Amino acid sequence: MKARSLRSSQTADLFAPAAPPTAAPAAPTAAPPPPAAPPATPAAALPPAVLPARSARAEPLWYAVVFAPPPEGQPLDLYSLSLQAQQFTSLVSLEPPNALLLEVRGSVQLFGSLARLRALIDARWQELAFEASSAVAPSTLAALWCARAGDHECADTALRLPGRLARLPIACTAWDADRLHRLRSLGITRLGEVLRLPRAGLARRLGPGAVLDLDIALGRQAEPRRAFVPRERFRQRRDFETEIDQVAYLEKALEPLIAACAQFLRRRQAGIQRLELRLRHRQAPPSRVRMGFASATSEQHRLADVLAQQLSRLELRAPVLGLELISGALQALSGVSRDAFAGSGGAGPDTAAELVERLRARLGERCVYGVSTLAEHRPEAAWRRVHELQLASLPTGSVSGAADMPRPLWLLDEPQRWPAGDTLSPQESPERIESGWWDGRGVARDYYRVCAARGVKLWVFQERHTKCWYLHGVFA
Amino acid sequence: MCFGAAKMWLPRETSSLAELLADARVWKLKDAAAGHRLSSRPVWSTGSSALDARLPGGGWPTASLIEVLIDSTGLGEVQLFLPALVECQRKASGDVPWIVWIAPPYEPYAPALAQSGVELGRLLVVRPASGVEALWAAEQALSSGVCAAVLLWLKGTDDRWLRRLKLAAEEGGALGVLFRPERHRFESSPASLRLVVAHGDPAPQIELIKVQGGRPGFVDLGVP
Repeated sequence: MKARSLRSSQTADLFAPAAPPTAAPAAPTAAPPPPAAPPATPAAALPPAVLPARSARAEPLWYAVVFAPPPEGQPLDLYSLSLQAQQFTSLVSLEPPNALLLEVRGSVQLFGSLARLRALIDARWQELAFEASSAVAPSTLAALWCARAGDHECADTALRLPGRLARLPIACTAWDADRLHRLRSLGITRLGEVLRLPRAGLARRLGPGAVLDLDIALGRQAEPRRAFVPRERFRQRRDFETEIDQVAYLEKALEPLIAACAQFLRRRQAGIQRLELRLRHRQAPPSRVRMGFASATSEQHRLADVLAQQLSRLELRAPVLGLELISGALQALSGVSRDAFAGSGGAGPDTAAELVERLRARLGERCVYGVSTLAEHRPEAAWRRVHELQLASLPTGSVSGAADMPRPLWLLDEPQRWPAGDTLSPQESPERIESGWWDGRGVARDYYRVCAARGVKLWVFQERHTKCWYLHGVFA
Repeated sequence: MCFGAAKMWLPRETSSLAELLADARVWKLKDAAAGHRLSSRPVWSTGSSALDARLPGGGWPTASLIEVLIDSTGLGEVQLFLPALVECQRKASGDVPWIVWIAPPYEPYAPALAQSGVELGRLLVVRPASGVEALWAAEQALSSGVCAAVLLWLKGTDDRWLRRLKLAAEEGGALGVLFRPERHRFESSPASLRLVVAHGDPAPQIELIKVQGGRPGFVDLGVP
């Protein structure tokens, strides 16, 4: 039944995005046509104008490599292979369990030609004694599927993709066994036959994931890839000949370590947000000082600044025998935070990130925060603290003042019960807030602005059910 | 008597009043009124024309320390500075500057701030554990150059710290506002502007007790 309906509609919709949805008629189930002569290849069915217009320069080019499992049954070390791949391009992406994807469009010019670049990368795997199969294609999945299928022909434009994909066996998609079995039971063994199926039916039978995969493979849908960042850390220790019991000396002794750390980061064009200092003692277990930065940094004076803040608060438990500086995970630096002239000196105006991390280093992480509004009617739930501050540049003129009912500048943590003896005589009409019945913390209140004795302006409400008065805010 | 005393320190060659007034050592009270034109320093409007008229330059001075003496809250004391906070964020060229609130008595309520036009993405609340930490944080923020205004609430402090805050404010070009209890009224303070916000019926009373380049006295804000 399934096979029949699929086959019957194969001429109606050729998995082409240009065909309007109405062009795919409901599959006639009563009279299936006999298996016809092989239909036109999808490449012929897709006129070039159908493909999204895109300049060749912007089109990515992916090199995929699939490694054969190592002989002794050991796990494949994709991590170290990625490190090797990073000498050819800055964008390496892992495809577990056994493949890597390299974006090579930007590297072609550097290495002369695509053929040469590809030969160099392939030679690298041979040198390392890995059995690898590679392919180059304008989309991630197409490259990966070709590499899995062992199709080494090079197609560097999206125009030739459908024709090339059509020849591949469906097993190269690495879809799950159930999905492949279902396709095989329809008599489908090649991707070209899958591409010929109607899109809606395909999504229904194989799940939307399969359609998305095909779109990505054909280059109709971009697939953002996470770039591989090496899991390196800075770790360096320094031992003293005599024990040090003065914090001031420690600061001096730390300087070369900080300089080394900054240089380490600069070479890798990476930054850190966490730093740990370990102080070794003769008897006691090592004391640890942990530091955080508001944004990833590699600048020496920022590292030194935060370390100095932490050291100034440090009370030594015992004399120190050695120091060790350990960085957190390396993060890609945004281009904005690098300053060519801020390499060593501590001069120049601070940035907001520096200010925030200096305050946090001394006062504590949780004591420095921002606030933001939430779309919520209950006053106590209409705001929250923000600890992940947005430190990137914010252009002026983005403020939009919302015209709304007046709100007090101070809101009490908990509404305070107004003494029953005191009577309030609000002059204005109330603002009624009735909300939150769905989460068990419902409110039904009438809010008033009142001028209490001697000029103090308060925000009070009357609970509608109990008629009790509460103080909730102060207009400061 | 008074005239005679003045004559004693006058240099011989000074003859006319105009020359006398041109002497830099002579502080002219009149400049306060004419300050709108004379002052080269930028100022931020207070949002109240009555108060603006009493301040030299016609608003809160930037790059200086302002001291507000107040015993309780709820008298609209922060409200006096909100227009200035909004203005300094809007008028800045390029990146929006930061506003830092250090040790406010309650949580600043985000919807109210958003309503008045403050850019919440550039507001920092700092909760220091002690008064000295608060002063340190204020000094750091004021001198950093990335903050346009720093509001600080304190129970008490000494003259030396206030001087450091004033210097930091001048260095970083930021507006520093210090709220502290009224009992410090008769202590000396390096702040360039000191005002008392006190209870009053029906509206709170504002009294300028020190105005550099202006005349101290009560300010009638009119009906709020």
